[in-house]
Amino acid sequence: MYSPRIEDALRHVYDPELEVNIVDLGLIYDIEEDEHNIHIRMTLTTPGCPLHDSIIGGVYRILQKEFPDKEINVDLVWEPRWTPERMSDEAKERLGFF
Amino acid sequence: MSRLPFLFIVSGMIGFFLFHMFAIVHLYTWISQGLREPTGWFHIHLFVLGWGTMLAFGAIYQLMNVILQSKIYKESLGYVHYALFTIGLFGLLYGFISGHVGALATFGTITIIGILVFGWNMAHTILRSKQWNVIIFCATSSIVFLVLAAITGLTMGLNFAIVFGNSLHSSLFGTHIWLGTVGWFGLLITGFSYKMLPMFYLAHHYPTKLQLFTTILWTVSVIIGVVHFLILQQQWSFMLAVVTLLLAIVIYNIHLLQIRKYKHKKNPGPGIRWTMIGNFTFAILAILVVTHTLIFNADLLNFITLRLVTWLYLIMWVSFMILGYASKIVPFLWWTYKYGNRVGQKNTPVMSDMLSERWAFLGLAAIMVTSLVVMVGISVNSPSIIAYAGLAYSLCCIAYISLIAYVFTK
Repeated sequence: MYSPRIEDALRHVYDPELEVNIVDLGLIYDIEEDEHNIHIRMTLTTPGCPLHDSIIGGVYRILQKEFPDKEINVDLVWEPRWTPERMSDEAKERLGFF
Repeated sequence: MSRLPFLFIVSGMIGFFLFHMFAIVHLYTWISQGLREPTGWFHIHLFVLGWGTMLAFGAIYQLMNVILQSKIYKESLGYVHYALFTIGLFGLLYGFISGHVGALATFGTITIIGILVFGWNMAHTILRSKQWNVIIFCATSSIVFLVLAAITGLTMGLNFAIVFGNSLHSSLFGTHIWLGTVGWFGLLITGFSYKMLPMFYLAHHYPTKLQLFTTILWTVSVIIGVVHFLILQQQWSFMLAVVTLLLAIVIYNIHLLQIRKYKHKKNPGPGIRWTMIGNFTFAILAILVVTHTLIFNADLLNFITLRLVTWLYLIMWVSFMILGYASKIVPFLWWTYKYGNRVGQKNTPVMSDMLSERWAFLGLAAIMVTSLVVMVGISVNSPSIIAYAGLAYSLCCIAYISLIAYVFTK
């Protein structure tokens, strides 16, 4: 279980090319929270995405700002690979998927 | 963030601007006079090295990290490469325009050393990553062919100085051009397209078998071309290289359609849309030129056809692809540099705020149309059409590259 505030905060982190936030893009695989830590397991739309540092840095910064007393860990993984089916309906609509 | 891609990309944009300023001043007379004259050499080298190759170096320094998911072996060598290549190129261009043989020899050697430093740095970067796929193969072989093109250029210079003979010069000249155009630019553009297009179309689950076929055919065509120029020198051997290349171009375009079919993003941006149109236009025109040559048993290396093919390949494909991709590469670089650490903050601009999609679309459309008219001028051998359409083409190019440069003010 984790605070819904974490997901709300992550919705402020946008992929600047796709103009969709990382939660709706389905980039967040797992969120774990305990008394002292927040652990995020996430991916990007393509391996070696050129926005890698910016997006991961954005996740760190926004969670550190919202939860200053906790240690933030972001684990970037490439398996399982991201697929477009992971996007929310809002994201699909935004990208003209339908 | 590394400033190395910036250095090369901005220098390439300046090279592109200068090329068009000189082209306007000379009203493209160097095309009508023939490319193997000192002014022709000057313009061709300014275009190929000062624009195409310079920007391609920047794109490689930016995209190698993405393709290999590892850093460049030694960034400091990248700066040495930049210094040697830029100084060498300036001197080389001076040598061509002034006919100064000493300048050509000295600065040509400096340019080539710059390319060798780049080749060494990239070889270590690629070998260290211990990865292998079609895209990495394309990038690797394109760099190998660039280094070989540079070495044949140096050998040509030595041949001039020592005079081994005219026949050797012709062989080296053909090999130098074939390696640089088909080998270096061809494999680099096709390889990078396999990464760029799926990324911007958000294409997934598309088949990749045709990437392999294209790459094998393209590489074989480069090798046949080299064997032709150095050893065989028969019309059939050159046609075999050209037809193999044409087959690779057709399969490459079929693969691009496959990527587009599996897209999940409706609008990849005007630059990507125009690169697709540019690829298809190039394939159709290449089929027409080669078919015409085969049916009428014409010589592909005669004066008019050679100029036509050079324009089609270098201007309408290589340069047009670079211009299209620059509309993505430059905003990405600038956004990452200026706004990369502001992700998550309110009012942070997004990529589409960096460049006007409407103007980029119109700019590329105008470049495509005017370059087609120049091609018509070359086909009917009309210096006036070439001059007026060339003027319009250059003005459109200057307007478009200024639009791209405007990104740096955002």
